Order: sequence, then structure tokens, then C-alpha cells
Amino acid sequence: MFFLHNLERRVTLHPSYFGRNMHELVTTKLVKDVEGTCAGDYYIIAVMDTFDVSEGRILPGSGLAEFTVGYRAVVWRPFKGEVIDAVTQTVNPHGFFAQAGPLRLFVSSHLMPDEIQYDASATPAQFTNNADIVIEQGTHVRVKIIGLRTEVGEMWAIGSINGDFLGCLQA
Amino acid sequence: MSKTIRLGTRLRYPITIVRLLKSPGEPIKKQEPLLEYSFKWMREIVDEIGGNTRQEEQTTTVTWDSPTDGELAQWHITEGQRIVADRPCMVVKEECSHAVQFGGLCAMCGKDMTEVNWAAETRDTARAPIHMVHDQTYLTVSEDQAQRTEEKLQRRLLQSRKLSLVVDLDQTIIQACIDPTVGEWQKDPTNPNYESVKEVKSFQLDDGPSDLARRCSYYIKMRPGLQDFLNRISQMYEMHVYTMGTRAYAQNVARVVDPQGKLFGNRVISRDENGNMFAKNLQRLFPVSTHMVVIIDDRSDVWPRNRPNLIKVSPYEFFKGIGDINSSFLPKRQDLLTSDATTNGLGKKARMKESGQKTEKIDAALKADVDMTGGDDPALTKLQLEEQERAFEKQIKDRPLQVLQEKLDKEDEEAEKATVQSEDGSESRSSSPPPQRHRVLQDDDTELQYLEKHLTYLHRTYYAEYDSNRASHATTGNVDLTSVPDVGRILEELKGKVLQGFKIVLSGVLPRGIDIYRSEIGLQIMSFGADLLPKIRNDVTHLVVNTSQPGREKLLEARRRPHIKIVSQEWLADCFSRWEAVDETPYLFTARLVGEEEPDNKPKDDAMIIDEGEDAEAENEMSNGKRNKGLKLKLVPASGQTRELKPVGEDDEDNSEDSDDSEIEEGLLPEDLPDGQVSPIDSLKTFNWDSADAELAEFLASGSSDEEDDDEDEDEDDDDDDGDYVNDGGEDQEDSSSSDDSRDRRARRSRSRSKTASPSSPSRKRKSYDDDEEAGAESADGDQTPAKRLRRMQSQRTSSLRNQYVAGEDEQQQGDNSGLPTPLGTDDADGKQQKEVNASPVPIEEGGEEDDDLDFDEAELEAEFEREFEREFDRVGAETEAEEHVLGEGNVGGEDTEKG
Repeated sequence: MFFLHNLERRVTLHPSYFGRNMHELVTTKLVKDVEGTCAGDYYIIAVMDTFDVSEGRILPGSGLAEFTVGYRAVVWRPFKGEVIDAVTQTVNPHGFFAQAGPLRLFVSSHLMPDEIQYDASATPAQFTNNADIVIEQGTHVRVKIIGLRTEVGEMWAIGSINGDFLGCLQA
Repeated sequence: MSKTIRLGTRLRYPITIVRLLKSPGEPIKKQEPLLEYSFKWMREIVDEIGGNTRQEEQTTTVTWDSPTDGELAQWHITEGQRIVADRPCMVVKEECSHAVQFGGLCAMCGKDMTEVNWAAETRDTARAPIHMVHDQTYLTVSEDQAQRTEEKLQRRLLQSRKLSLVVDLDQTIIQACIDPTVGEWQKDPTNPNYESVKEVKSFQLDDGPSDLARRCSYYIKMRPGLQDFLNRISQMYEMHVYTMGTRAYAQNVARVVDPQGKLFGNRVISRDENGNMFAKNLQRLFPVSTHMVVIIDDRSDVWPRNRPNLIKVSPYEFFKGIGDINSSFLPKRQDLLTSDATTNGLGKKARMKESGQKTEKIDAALKADVDMTGGDDPALTKLQLEEQERAFEKQIKDRPLQVLQEKLDKEDEEAEKATVQSEDGSESRSSSPPPQRHRVLQDDDTELQYLEKHLTYLHRTYYAEYDSNRASHATTGNVDLTSVPDVGRILEELKGKVLQGFKIVLSGVLPRGIDIYRSEIGLQIMSFGADLLPKIRNDVTHLVVNTSQPGREKLLEARRRPHIKIVSQEWLADCFSRWEAVDETPYLFTARLVGEEEPDNKPKDDAMIIDEGEDAEAENEMSNGKRNKGLKLKLVPASGQTRELKPVGEDDEDNSEDSDDSEIEEGLLPEDLPDGQVSPIDSLKTFNWDSADAELAEFLASGSSDEEDDDEDEDEDDDDDDGDYVNDGGEDQEDSSSSDDSRDRRARRSRSRSKTASPSSPSRKRKSYDDDEEAGAESADGDQTPAKRLRRMQSQRTSSLRNQYVAGEDEQQQGDNSGLPTPLGTDDADGKQQKEVNASPVPIEEGGEEDDDLDFDEAELEAEFEREFEREFDRVGAETEAEEHVLGEGNVGGEDTEKG
């Protein structure tokens, strides 16, 4: 789910950048630093604006200036139970991996409808019910997240296509 | 999904079950109390009055909490039961077995597996310890799951009558290189290598080890006939790629080899997922059973656990001297059998030159590390990454291929020149387009043909056995997993027939000090059914020699037994690649060693004798000198042998200590100065210390006659040895003793040297003087030492008088002994200096010769005077002086003879 989230971050600036457009530089650096990163539970998708750039404080010893920047960002936090769309990356006998934006999901063969089986002889390998549903590399799938785990800068998720309206989108 | 739970080892056994809190059928949750138990323990009670302690038995009742979620199925224990050790207590029907996990999450229920729970003894992540997916390390499965998956795989394979084939990339089916020269050659149709590189595919990687590698192109040359080979093989085998390259590299190569993704699909595993930088392991892909898996790889040492399943392929070397660009993590290969000396000698040489020193050094260090750590040492990995990076940069910068081609071109040019000259210099030829230039890149590899044959043969044999097994089991259904034969065993059987009955001895193929039975080549020989023997015996059938450096001993021994076929290592390589006992005739090693006798015209006894005499020396030579040089392979008459072997011994005998010493001295002493140049110590060299010392002793009258006599005696005992005195005399004498030694040695040198000493050189003169002195007069020597002691004592306080004497003696000696013109400068300076110091009455302006005379006279007079004056007191001193003079006369004579 997407959120607009007010966040705060300390940005340091090298003394060689001290000057008139310091605040612009601070914003640029902030955007470069945080956009697209995983901050624990959520991904920071985009920085909307900065609403508060504090006065710079020279850090003793290094000469870098530190600014405390308050900013507003679009963040995406996947939730357990949430249904998202993803693109299949690889398929193996235990299930398939799908990518939903920055998040990597694994859908185990246990969490698929019973009729969907792994077919290794196909090129490329696929999960199929031998009818309309074919999940192979590149297939768009709708997945329900049933488990999430986060580490610093990393997130893992388990998905399921066992349910109504879940699974292959092209079908 | 019922699971038996044990009580765990952490309880204080023995325990008694007091109460069971849950009954079968009830749902249980993690960390929920399931039963109560009691245990007894001793409590220490301190008696406050008496101050002593006593033990008192206590009984405590505690609860036991559930380590897992699920439904209680059955208790294995009853209330009131006494339990003495850890044992199973209940069966729980679990909701989820957590058999597949992804990044610490259970892929079946979505629960976090990394949570640590005080009630459970093992972590949940340990339930799925096996990696078996090609392209992921985050996905792990349990043993059950692995087994199920593999069973499915086997079923499928049996149904389609296929086997699994694990294919290595580098140097097995392709060769990669990053030398930019290839790209240039591809663009240049006039280049002689254009035809060869036309088919070379290229790609760029964005995850190279460095910026440099990121920008460079990887050039991929497929082994000739690869497409057809793979297409046909894919009918019989399901193929996997297993490479030591990075993931991106592996995928790109797979795309080059298999653009449609039909052959490999996504069954590609690289070093990123391998989990080990140094070894490949079939269990990584097939954790349960490798009965249906065949490997083709050019290196057998990377498959330590799966050797039976391996078909070793001879390495593909298209880009000469490049080798395997992804092998920097692996130990250096020990199994190069294809004699690079003949087939691609150029490449080998270049490779040796380029990477020889470097890899050897680092690899040795690394290998030691690898053996110890076995793998996952990040520091080592980093080191190796850097190493690979360096290798990459080197290849890009040095362009080994270009260098090779240029070298070839040069050779061609020279050859051409030679032909042109031989053809009466017909100039018209040179204007015509140059003849076909030779090219570095030859594409003449035929390995895949044999490989396909073997794989087909193996597949046929395997399914024949499977069918017969199935028939005997008489099972219904289309597959029978119980009658699956082990392909490793079949492979071994097939290979074992190839060289059966052969008894092979290796010579010069393996480095010394390597256990032949554990070496790659040795293992291979044995895997093909031949017996490997360390020494030549009568039942040996083949001697395999390294044609570039055959071992002498074994070769000679084998020559004496005509039934032993002496073959080059190519024979072995061809047997291995063709799986048949190849006819030896083209491989017979007929070149004669230097000094080897002709077998025909020498009787056998004679040969024996020679051998015996030779063996020790030959052995020595092999181990130090000759081995490096490599044996010269040419026909030498039998007589040449003695000459070839002799010099070492003779030299040793001839050059006894003298020459050795002189050799050393040559280095230690400064070279003689060129004529006209004045050395600051020239005057000292010509100086006769002995006479000066004697005179000094006399003058100071320090030595009593007794002492002098004693010394004399002693010296007669060990005349050359000044050591005694040195030790007596204390530290101050240390340097003088060494100077004495060096003087002795110098003397010896001058003796040993052919007497060509130029008479004008004062140092030479001095040497010869010493020489004669030592040879002729022992008594003089005897006097010399105590006198020297005095001199040393005196040298601390500079006495002007002594200086005068010194100068006098110096001049005297020159005049006396040699009578030769000495360098004027030296004399002048010397004389002047002395005179200045002494304020001698002789005017400074006087010329050298006169000076000499005058000084000499003066000294003589003074000596005479003193002798007269002190005759009564110091008889010995006078004698010495006299002897000194006699000696001087003798010296003149001696030197004259020398000069003549």
C-alpha cells in the first residue's frame, strides 16, 4: 500500500559545496540518498518535497555540515494479506519467484491450486494446469502476500495464488 | 505432517511427570505449558549458628512448554512416569512443516523462521537446510522436500529415457577471452585470424569485477561442432550448466550457446549460487541421489565428491595462452596432459611467461589457505577477486593474442625472407600480395566427436541395464525407481575396460614429490583400468614420458626391456579422450637422450656398467641442474656420454680450496687499479711490516729475550696461524688478524694464479713478496707476530720516530726487493708526508729516485747505529734485523725468477 509519509533525515554536505545554493544541494543529496531504498518496513518510492531544511551545523572534526531535513515521501509498504500484482522472474520445481516493484516474492507450489503443476519439460519451465493457466518467466500474476520479513535494506515476502481471482493475469 | 517431539536435553533429569495439561486432539501453541514435571535437587543450607553448610533435598515442580504449534496427536509419556534421560514425549500434528523456506520465511505458511524461541532447542531455519535451486541461495528445502522433488525428476527422466548432464562452460564447451584483439580481428577481414574469429560471439557484462572488466567485451568461442553436439545430446540428456563464472557470465554464455533457451532453460548454476569458490558439488543440485547424473568438465579436481560421475574432457584451448578466465579461484591445474610442447607450444610458452611466476606464487599461498579454510573465508575470496581483476586487466592491457600473432608474423617474415633470398632474390615476388600469413588461432579440436560417442554409449548402456533390472523386478507402471542403476558405477565399468591389463609407469610427467596415486593423472589412469606403477618392472607394458623432459633413469631402464612401449603423453591423452587403447606407433618416443648409448651396438653388460656409474650422478643432475635446462634430445654417439657427465666431477677435484678461495677473494678484494691511478693504500701494500715491527721491537726493547723465544717456539708449531695471538691479544687485534688472514689468502691466490702479475703493480709485488716470505722463512714469520703486537700497541700513540722508521722501511724495501720503478706519485706523496711529519732534514724539492736512495740510506744508517748501540741489550732483535736483510736478498731472487 502506498502512503505519503513525513520523514526526517540528516544530510551531510561537504565543505566544498558551501555557498548560496546549499539548500538545493541538500535536497538533491537527500533525493539521491533515500529514493528507492528500503527503510525497514517500507520502500521509499519518491521524495515529494522538503518542507524543512534546518540550519547547517558543522560537525566537529570533519568539517562537514549537517542539515536536518524534514521531507514528504511516497512510501510503499507491503502488508501481510495484501494482494499485489507481480511479474514472474524464474520458475523452479518448488515454486516461482515474482517481482513486485522492489519486492521479491516467492510463491511456493504448496500455495497454488492443486491443479497447477510444475512442468519441467516445457521450455522455459512453467507451472500449468494444462489448460488456460501457464505461469512461466515473464507472466504477470496476482499474488496475495502471506508472509513478510524485513532486515535492514532487505525484504522478503511469501505469496500465494491459492484463492479467488489470484494467479495468472493473462488467462 | 505429524512430528515427534522430544523432551530436550536441557531438563534436569531424572524427572517425574506430575500432570499432563493437554490431552490428544487439543490444539497447542508455541510456548504453551503442556505438562508439569518435578525434579529433585540439592539445596545448600547455611547454618547461621554453627556456620557450617548442609545439603537438603528439594523437589520442584515446573511446567514444560511447547516448542511448536499444531495439534497434539499422542502422548508418549504418562503421568507419574519417571524419566531419566531425553526421550520422545509426544506427537504433534503440525500445521506446517516449514519444508520450503525463502529468506527466513516459511514459503508455505509465511511465518518468520528466524525467530528464536526459548522453548525450542533447534531453530526452525534448520528444518530446511538444503539448497537445491539453481539460481537462488535464499531458497532452502527440507530433506523430505528434496527427496520428493528429486523423485519427480527421476520419474520424468526415466519416462523420457534421459539422464541429467551437468556441463561445465569454460574450456569444456566454450572458451572465453577478453582480449580486445579478438574484436579488432573480427572487424578486419584481411587479418589471417579473421576466419577463425568470425564465429566468435561477444557480450558485455555490467557486473564485472572492476570498471575495466565492465567495459570490456567477453569473446566466446564455441567448441567446433558444439551446436550439433548439444542438439543431439539434448535428446538423451537433460542439461545443466555448472560454471565457476559469475551468474551474469553464465547466463550470457548460455544465451550465446543456446539462444532459444531450449537446451539449458534456467538450469544454470554459477559460483554466485554455488556456495563454494573452489569446488563443485553435485549434491548442490541433486542432494539425494546422483544415480542419473553425468558430468562433463575439463577439470576433475573441482569435483572432489563426484569423481565417478565425471567424464573428463580435454580442455579446449582456442585462444592460445588464455586458459580459463574464471579459474583464478581454483587451484592451479595439475593435470595438463595434452603436451603443449607440440600442439600449442606457443600458447603454453606465452602462458608460462605471463602467468607463470605470478600464479605460482599466489596459488601456492592460496592453496595452502584453501586446504585449511575449505572455503568461506571472505578475506580470501576478496583476495581472489582482486587476483581475477588483475588477471583481467593484464589480459586487456597485454593483449596476449596480439603478441602471439605478431610473433608469428615475424617468424613468417623471416621465413619469407629466407625463401626470397634462396630464389635468386626475385624481386617480383615481394610486390605480389604476401603469401598466406600464419594464424595464431587454429580451430582444430575434435574432442566433441569423441565426447558425443561416449555419452551416447553411456546412455545406451545405462538404459539397457535399467531395462533388464526392470524386467527382473517385473513391476507394472512405466517407471521403476527401484531399478535405477548408478550411472557412476556404469561409467566406471565402461572406463575401466579401456586400458585394462596395462601396466603404466610415468616418467617426467608429474613433478617430483607428488604421490602418483593421488595425482590427477594417476587417478585418471587408474580409472581407465590400467595399473599405475612407480618403478619399471618386468611386467610393465608402457612407459609414458614427457617428451619435453623425460626422466632419464626410467627411460634407460625401459629401453633395456624391449617389450615396454615408450610412448609420449599424447598417447595417454588420446586414450583418455577416445576411451580406447590407441595404437602406440605414432606416439612412440624414440629420441635419444644426451649420452644415452645406442642399444644396438652396445652389449648389454656394458650398458649395465654405464648405468651403474651414471645413476647417482644422473639422479643428481636431474634434480638440480639438468632438470631446469631440459634434456637435450639429439643423437649423440656413445662416446659422448663420458664427456657430458664428467666435467662436474672433474671441476670439483681440480679446483681445490685454493681456487675456491681465490674465487671468493676475487669478489671481496677490489680490482687492481689501472696504471697511473693512485690508491691511498698503495704505499701500505708495499710496506714491509715485519721489518718495521722488528725494528720497533728492538727500539722499544720491550720484549725480553725469554718472551721472544717462547713466541718463536710457538710459532714454529703453527706458523700460519695467527689466531692464538689474536685471542691472547684482546679486541684490538681483531682487525689485524683479519688483515693477516687476507694477506695469507692473497699470497695463496698469487701462488695459484698463473704468474702473470704485472711487475709495475705494487700490490702484486707485495703479494709475491709475502708468498716467498711465507714459503721461505719460518723464523721471520715467528718474529713477525710479537713484533706486530708491539706495532699495534704503538699505533695508538703516534710516534714521530716510528713514522720515520716506517717510511724508511717502506722505501728500503722497495729499493731493496724489487728494484723496480714504483709509481712516482705514491713515493713522492709518501716521502713528502713522512718528511713533513718528521721534519726530516731532507729537502722537499728532491726528486723521487734520490729521495728513495736517501731515505734508504738514512734508514739503513739508523738501523746500523741502533744495532750497534743496543747489541748488548737486545740480541734477538739484532738477529731479526739480520734475517730480515737476508730475506730481502732472497726475495729479490725469488721475484726475478717469477718474472722470468
